[in-house]
Amino acid sequence: MSEMRGNALDVVEKYYKDYGLRAKELKKKGEKIIGYICSFVPLEIVAAAGCIPFRVRGNVREPITKGDTLLETIVCPYYRSCFDLSVKQKYDFLSGMVIPHGCDSMVRSYSAWSYSLPYSYFHFINIPTVCGESSSEFFDAELNTFRKSLEKFTGKAIADDDLAKTIRTYNQNRDKVRALYEFRKSDPPRISGTELTMVLTVGSSLPVGEFNTLLDQVSTEIEGRKKSPLKKGPRILIDGACLDNIELIRLVEEIGGNVVADTICNGARDYFPRTDEGGDPIHSLADRYLDKVNCPKTYRENRTGTFEGDIASRFGDIGIYAKEFKVDGAILYLYKYCDPFGFEVPARKAYYKSVNVPLLHLEDIYSAGTMSQLRTRIQAFLEMIG
Amino acid sequence: MSEEQKEAKPKKRMTATQAAASIGSLVKEFITDAIRARAERKQKLAYTFIVCHHEEIFRSMDVIPIWTENFAGVCGAKRDAERFLQRAESLGLSRSLCTYALCGIGFDQWREELGQMPPDSPWGGQPKPDFMISSGQILCDPRSKWYQASQQFMPDVPIYNIDLPYPLFQRDRDHREVWGYYHKYIVKQLRGLVAFLEEQTQKKMDYDRLRELVDLSDRTWNLIDETYSLRKAVPCPMGTGDAMNTMVPINFMMATQKAYDFFVNLKKELEEKIAKGEGEVQEERYRLMWGGGLPAWFALTDFNYFNSKGASFPAETTYRMVAPLNEMDIPETKDPIEHLAWRWLGYWTFWYDKAKKRQGSEPDVERLINWIEEYKIDGIVMHEAFSCRTWHVGLIWQLHQLAKIYKPIPDYSIGRDGKKNRVYRELPSLILESDIIDITSYSEVDTKNKIDAFIATLESNRLNKVA
Repeated sequence: MSEMRGNALDVVEKYYKDYGLRAKELKKKGEKIIGYICSFVPLEIVAAAGCIPFRVRGNVREPITKGDTLLETIVCPYYRSCFDLSVKQKYDFLSGMVIPHGCDSMVRSYSAWSYSLPYSYFHFINIPTVCGESSSEFFDAELNTFRKSLEKFTGKAIADDDLAKTIRTYNQNRDKVRALYEFRKSDPPRISGTELTMVLTVGSSLPVGEFNTLLDQVSTEIEGRKKSPLKKGPRILIDGACLDNIELIRLVEEIGGNVVADTICNGARDYFPRTDEGGDPIHSLADRYLDKVNCPKTYRENRTGTFEGDIASRFGDIGIYAKEFKVDGAILYLYKYCDPFGFEVPARKAYYKSVNVPLLHLEDIYSAGTMSQLRTRIQAFLEMIG
Repeated sequence: MSEEQKEAKPKKRMTATQAAASIGSLVKEFITDAIRARAERKQKLAYTFIVCHHEEIFRSMDVIPIWTENFAGVCGAKRDAERFLQRAESLGLSRSLCTYALCGIGFDQWREELGQMPPDSPWGGQPKPDFMISSGQILCDPRSKWYQASQQFMPDVPIYNIDLPYPLFQRDRDHREVWGYYHKYIVKQLRGLVAFLEEQTQKKMDYDRLRELVDLSDRTWNLIDETYSLRKAVPCPMGTGDAMNTMVPINFMMATQKAYDFFVNLKKELEEKIAKGEGEVQEERYRLMWGGGLPAWFALTDFNYFNSKGASFPAETTYRMVAPLNEMDIPETKDPIEHLAWRWLGYWTFWYDKAKKRQGSEPDVERLINWIEEYKIDGIVMHEAFSCRTWHVGLIWQLHQLAKIYKPIPDYSIGRDGKKNRVYRELPSLILESDIIDITSYSEVDTKNKIDAFIATLESNRLNKVA
């Protein structure tokens, strides 16, 4: 695969392997880098404050050690890994940290984060659990509180125009990512799932402007490719939460699958929804992050009165992606101890059945050590649908 | 699937108070009442969760709450949860998820498949509700996912999900800066609940009755606080083992005269015991606090094991879901819904101001520190239930913070008389590990070994202090 790479993907690989390299350089130049967890943090507000949002990542190859002395092992292993790396000072270039109410583990461990790490800024964003008029009003107010706390931290007022500008930049960013997904539509795809995941993972460690430039370069490079880095194989959609390490996707592709679509947090869940431009910027952001980011943590009322109608409305995006990217099968890859996703497994299974997409459900522990066990199951699945 | 296999009947835990001994029949009564109400169809039944401050609304509208966490706990206590957990697993639900919810979903799926209660259901089983009131609280994800998952098997049963957030503690912020919009939101959510119930019951809310019930609950809250404070006495007249029974009127019977009367009687009983010098254990050697975690409902006799070693539990943070209203800094209002919302915020932010005043403290830690001092605590016991993140994440960190204050070395200070004082402030802690209802996670031998080792540490500390 490496001989197919040009300069842009080499840069991606460099930043992927040394995650945070660019942020460290920027920190030395006096920039404020603000760490965050989860797709619920409105990056537009962080950027409008003149700070650089940086997604804190775990590492499936590093055993969790110090983190376990402060946080229970019943926390989702992905989140534990993020915490472990943080308390081991992997992210000591951060000036602050923002944690939203993405799940119980985030709420209940907030004190452990904010008392154990030496950052001068910490903020928790309360995300409503339901969608509706009063939730939207509440979330507007909560985002304004976030805005004020950043203003206090940076000593700089965030004007509506600043927000409108960052909203436009992040929308451009999402459009560019969407354009990259277009390369997945050919058979075999022009860009592998492994490459795309690396690009998106790296992107969340860069200032959005630099990420946009990198996306342009990667797109040009892929455009110029004469052939796919993958052989034709079953076209797979990955469904699940945050997958910020390439091990699983690379495994699927090593054994003949083509990962062409996803619903993951550092993928379509986060990058596909745009923010409305032109109105009250805070309200538009509240609308995007609460209503448009399709996370199982947000309860969506069954307005149909039937189970079939309910799952079609909750998981309809999966069906759309399956058609759009001509998916042959899906892998629902979840972490142990993840309540928001875990309770949806029977309903998600039923939905996949209703749209005739074969499904493999895997529960894992965010460790590279489990890949050989998963290999057999994934291989059997690919053979079954291939 | 071993659906018909049940664990051996558990040993009954010995209680210290008459009040705690009377709880079993109370629980059985409200479960069988719900089954009868389902058959008669005169009142609407609602699945719901504890600690939502909505009981007054339910009872004002004659809606019967079915406490689904309680039923799962009953299955656990009767060591009869496994067959329902296995049902849930067979649907694709992981055993690592909240086992209360798994038990409830497994039970619902089985009941709906049969069209009747599963065979030998504990205490007659859990009836199908008319609707489900879930709550997307800030502290429990399964609460908004459980009923959504159960609805797969009863799609005709609607759900209303109330959102009840509270501002999380942030050291550099006064929570009052933001609680105005929190209050406004909670009020709207509760009014939405009223509208939903009015639609479902075809009855209008009687606000005078609601006001009376809110007042009754407030009085019950204060009474509970006064009653539990009596446990500061030495020897302690009632321990956490009993409190795991007396949590029933706190959490499942609030806004009823019965709950109020229960605590009138308990208070009287404790006062009598204190007057006679009667403790939970005959010879109290160690005073422990249950510092966090839901109990293993199938192993409540472990409290008796502690008692047999001379250890009493004067305080617990679990299920003491009330705080004295006269110490809450919340605005006055005549609107009962607005009051419920303020009470919610007042409860969850109760320790915030105190925590800010102490270096390194935090509300949960502050509560531990205050009660360690007030209840003269010698050691902390916590329980890590593997399936519940809501109540069990953050406990290790709390102990870590506590250890900064209660150090395993003597503190020296110079007294007013100029003499050197030596004070041991060491506070040993024990973390027990298993689950709320999944008995497969529990080892009686390991648990008792851990307790024995902990008691040995307490004894060594006691001798050091004496010396």
